[in-house]
Amino acid sequence: MEKITNAHLFGIFLTVGCFYVISLVRKRSGLNWLNPLLLSTVIIICILVMGDIPYDHYMKGGSVIHSLLGPVTVVLALPLYRQRKLLVEHKYSILGGIVSGVLSAIISVIVLCRLLGINELLERSLIGHSVTTPIGIGVANMLQANEGITIISIIITGLLGGSLAPFMLKLLRITHPVAKGLSIGTSSHALGTTKAIEMGETEGAMSGLAIGVAALTTVLAVILMQLMGWY
Amino acid sequence: MKVFKQLFIILGINLAGELLSKYLHLPIPGSISGMILLLVLLLTGILKEKHIRETADFMIQNMGFFFIPATVGVLVTYHALDGHYFQTSLVVVLSTIIVLAVTALSTQLLINLKERWKK
Repeated sequence: MEKITNAHLFGIFLTVGCFYVISLVRKRSGLNWLNPLLLSTVIIICILVMGDIPYDHYMKGGSVIHSLLGPVTVVLALPLYRQRKLLVEHKYSILGGIVSGVLSAIISVIVLCRLLGINELLERSLIGHSVTTPIGIGVANMLQANEGITIISIIITGLLGGSLAPFMLKLLRITHPVAKGLSIGTSSHALGTTKAIEMGETEGAMSGLAIGVAALTTVLAVILMQLMGWY
Repeated sequence: MKVFKQLFIILGINLAGELLSKYLHLPIPGSISGMILLLVLLLTGILKEKHIRETADFMIQNMGFFFIPATVGVLVTYHALDGHYFQTSLVVVLSTIIVLAVTALSTQLLINLKERWKK
């Protein structure tokens, strides 16, 4: 068994298999709320834990897929290019929306942590929870925080943002596709963007745009906070 | 052939983005620099949509797949929380809801204001 699991093929096969089967079930059953990413993750974790398979074995193949996240992020420029007219038309609203979102992310983490009496290390580690993973790690390092906590909070945020967005946006009566997409990308980076892409081309493009702009704004805000001696 | 050509272009831009971030000491990761670079190339017409279309659309439509190994990583990183599961989850959940609401409401408000201004 060890021979099979401790090879590149195992992780790749398991990931492709889970994603395929869940996507198929989703399509056939019409259950659109099924999240193939979330379910695949849960199933793979269950298989690893129950089969007593080390995480390192899975990641031999997993890291191959993981390394493709770079090109996947790069091609997010395409939906943005397709929506260039909308982008120019709403440039100030877009910038204003993203900046207020980023500020609310940082302020809400600080206020909530202080209210709940959470230690400072955890507080610093959660500041970058809304941005895309590589930037979040960068922010964690800038603030001398715990990278592991930052990564886990980024993933929870991404999964949560994507799942809550349709319901939340309906509740708040948000109708404009630009506002929908931006809010998903700003709050839950590329993971949430997977949901925005399902909602429509404009939503997906704006969410993709928000990943980059929100990440840059967060870095700038953290630099400013450090210059002001807050951290 | 077509897929290889498109993949070659996309990977090349990713690589160029990595180099840009590294040597210009940009505070953003190479993949984001690559995304900006690709947008510039498309806007200037140096690169046409057809040069990357099928491969890019496949990646975008199945983006969730590429994140699976990262999310499975929770299996090992959760130790870092050191028992602070409840507080951490609470902060992350509330903050995410706040960011989603603030961004959506402020963007919608700004768009509505602009449209009223036009009239």
